[in-house]
Amino acid sequence: MRARGRRKTSYAADIAVIHSGRQWLTLAVFIGLLVVLPLVLNATHNLNWVTFLNFTLIIIIAVLGLNVTTGMTGQVSLGHSAFIMLGGYGLAMLTLKADWPFWAALAVSTLVTGLIALIVAIPAIRLKGFYVAVVTLAFFYIAQYVIRNLDITGGTFGLIGIPSPSIAGMSIKGDVRWYYLLLALTILCVLVSVNITRSRLGRSFLAVRDNDVATAALGVNVPLTKLRAFFVGSLFAALAGGLWASYVSVVRLDQFTIWDSIWYLGMIVIGGAGSTAGAIMGVIFLRLISQILHVIGTSDLIPLSSTVTIYSTQIIYGLVIILFITLKPMGMISIWQKFKINYKRWPFGV
Amino acid sequence: MIDSNEVTGANILKGEDIHLSFDGVKALDGLDFSVKAGRIVSVIGPNGAGKTCLINCITGYYRPQQGRITFNRQDILHQRPHQIARLGISRTFQDPTTYPSMTALDILMAGRYIHTRATILDAMLFFGRSRREELESRQIVEEIIQFTQIEELRKVPVAAMSFGQRKQVEIARALVMQPTLIILDEPMSGLDEVMKEIITDLILNMFDRGMTIVLIEHDAQVVMEISHSIIVLDNGRRLTEGTPREISLDKRVAEAYLGL
Amino acid sequence: MDAATILLQLVLSGILVGGVYGLIGMGFVVTYRSANVFNLAYGQFVMFGAFIAWSFIGSPQEPRLPLPIALFLTLIAVILFGLAVEYLLFRRMIGRPMHATFILTLGIMALLHGAAMLIWGPGVHVLVETVPRGAIHLGSIVLSQEYVWSFFLAVIIALALALMFQRTRLGLAMRAAYDNQVAARCLGVSARMNAQITWAIAAVIATLGGILMGTVHGISTTLGELVMIVLAVVLIGGLDSLIGCVLGGLILAIGMNLSSYYLGPHLPGVEGIFSMALILIVLLVRPSGLMGTRPIERV
Ligand SMILES: Nc1ncnc2c1ncn2[C@@H]1O[C@H](COP(=O)(O)OP(=O)(O)O)[C@@H](O)[C@H]1O
Ligand SMILES: [Mg+2]
Repeated sequence: MRARGRRKTSYAADIAVIHSGRQWLTLAVFIGLLVVLPLVLNATHNLNWVTFLNFTLIIIIAVLGLNVTTGMTGQVSLGHSAFIMLGGYGLAMLTLKADWPFWAALAVSTLVTGLIALIVAIPAIRLKGFYVAVVTLAFFYIAQYVIRNLDITGGTFGLIGIPSPSIAGMSIKGDVRWYYLLLALTILCVLVSVNITRSRLGRSFLAVRDNDVATAALGVNVPLTKLRAFFVGSLFAALAGGLWASYVSVVRLDQFTIWDSIWYLGMIVIGGAGSTAGAIMGVIFLRLISQILHVIGTSDLIPLSSTVTIYSTQIIYGLVIILFITLKPMGMISIWQKFKINYKRWPFGV
Repeated sequence: MIDSNEVTGANILKGEDIHLSFDGVKALDGLDFSVKAGRIVSVIGPNGAGKTCLINCITGYYRPQQGRITFNRQDILHQRPHQIARLGISRTFQDPTTYPSMTALDILMAGRYIHTRATILDAMLFFGRSRREELESRQIVEEIIQFTQIEELRKVPVAAMSFGQRKQVEIARALVMQPTLIILDEPMSGLDEVMKEIITDLILNMFDRGMTIVLIEHDAQVVMEISHSIIVLDNGRRLTEGTPREISLDKRVAEAYLGL
Repeated sequence: MDAATILLQLVLSGILVGGVYGLIGMGFVVTYRSANVFNLAYGQFVMFGAFIAWSFIGSPQEPRLPLPIALFLTLIAVILFGLAVEYLLFRRMIGRPMHATFILTLGIMALLHGAAMLIWGPGVHVLVETVPRGAIHLGSIVLSQEYVWSFFLAVIIALALALMFQRTRLGLAMRAAYDNQVAARCLGVSARMNAQITWAIAAVIATLGGILMGTVHGISTTLGELVMIVLAVVLIGGLDSLIGCVLGGLILAIGMNLSSYYLGPHLPGVEGIFSMALILIVLLVRPSGLMGTRPIERV
């Protein structure tokens, strides 16, 4: 029996995301499943699950951004939640206070958040390791303070009535329509993320993560590269924040907590830092845990109060992060890759 | 070996009166040196003599308190490492475990950074320029992979390589940058005879391609065999400089080594 | 009260609180110095220690054990806790990149916070009177007795720690471990034991700080948020300096008092982000802090 595996015949084939007809087929089937998923879930009259899917997609977009900043470039950011918040508030203010159309507001709030991230990153990039984390942490609290004390942001009450987008005259209302919009945008973001990893930019990120001192000898301007990582990462965050705000039609400070920043970091670590697929797996894994706890808590079987559910989730998230870091530092993606190699070698390897 | 023409005889790199100290400890103490284009120049000296410090000064990692360094008559003392790399000087590091999680292919492609222009937007879309540059870079990277004989290492992360393989990849990394001057910091230390042979051949091949090479190496035999001239460092000073034959006859050199 | 008295009042009460902050910060510095861990879960250590103490000591309505016995049992419990943290988690992280250890402390933070919320709930628990309460009048300046007591206890504990680091062989070995693992081994303390002692000491300091804070403010899970204060304290002082830590505590507490009084009316809650702003300024101007040393990087 011939060992599985394919020889690439050109460099173009080697850098392609999809290598073979079979992979195209798998992808088509997978996306097809994702497309019919809400119909199946709706048929079972469980709208709750589509909401869950929508939030998961939004968080995937956000975490793809953190995967650039922290996963690829190694700049541990505790401010990701704040960038999401800025994206959300930016969209809310532009649509509500300035009457901008949705898409223009989304684009501008995303770009402006990217610029703010550059400013935050300036003190951070001169320093190493946890100093970056501390600077972004300080930024998180300062951003919250500013938003809480401004009138235009609605203070502690936030802003309500944020409009939904419309595409070609069709207004995106209701969970299912939102699902298709978010699915399309998520697929785009995944593609962008993959493109970054296979480009000059992504390799400069990886090099900085592995050894920023030596990377300067490659002709890479290291501080500039870190700035780029923060910029690109916060674009994803702000995009997710804008979608989030519009999807739930409100923004309030308590939607964006420091715990969320921690969970996003956890998702990256669990998935496998630096890998796009890993980031997605990490998000889905933690989201499923919380959803399962939620389902159990609201069931008649073991009814739990909502506070118990919240803090049990926190405990389990903490445990999962601890277990992955200590036992599986390369994350879920490494487990998957090992499986794939063994599968290809079959029946020779183990 | 004799200079074939004027051009290769010109100084490509020149340092004058370089002083570098750390908290009062002198690492380089009024060092002068020059490197002629198209030659193999070796720098030898006992451990702690300041060889790595010298490289760090040339490549912008350390800033000497005093002195002048020029590359192609251009002052490079006040440039930062990435700017110096862009001028066409590339270097290897003594510890070759620079990028543990990256594969050889990743590292070599990263080495093409200065020769590519794709912007953030290009990278995100991976279209047009980004894609074209990737394919061009890959072509050159593949040439270097063959040249340095690391075909098997393409998709192996550095962490999974042997020490010698890491050294090979480190040299290949410096080569894909297509420098005019390449500085090798102890490329053979810690390697067995077979690997030393491979790397020696590699250096000679680089010379044939017209590159200027600064070699820091402990293995006296290799140095004597392949260098055009040798600079001997001791205690941050230039003890002497000359052809391999002159150096091998110099008493002070023997003393400096035996004295340690 | 005239302006000068108000200022004096603010500074004096700042000093008292700052002493306690300084003490708490020391636990953070210890693990940073000798275990190379930037422990963001440290606030949860303080909170957990305080709750463990509360479980043994009890509340005024429901006192449990006599104070000395309760304190003794608390110390044993938190030392075991510190050892367990080292044995189960940080021992596995030796040689791993700094950011992995850092994210691990975030996981610990979540675990401890969630657990405390489930066990003790969000309410404030009052501790049995461990030190006398009430006001002390110095002319027109009013200071609360428990602050004064806490301050002096903090100073005594801090001095004891400083002595331990300066004078005992163990302390020397721990300091050496920060500079050089090999040197530490030469002094006769194994790296493993060094790490164990480090985490035990950190847990003890956190607990003592938690008890002092709890005496003043009551004990609740919000004690975990002290980590933000601790971060400011240790970054101002310099991450690896115990004296810097005390200095940082004083500067921060006085600054918070002043900003709250003078800026508070215009910017409500400003003292809360005062520490954040201070962190940013320190990191921009002097990243090694007032007393810290920054290790040289070699290429
Ligand atoms: N970053 C640094 N800080 C302090 N001292 C240094 C530093 N880099 C090198 N040195 C000292 O400078 C001297 C020369 O070192 P180096 O250039 O590495 O020697 P070698 O010739 O073996 O490469 C040594 O005494 C070394 O300890
Ligand atoms: Mg050296």
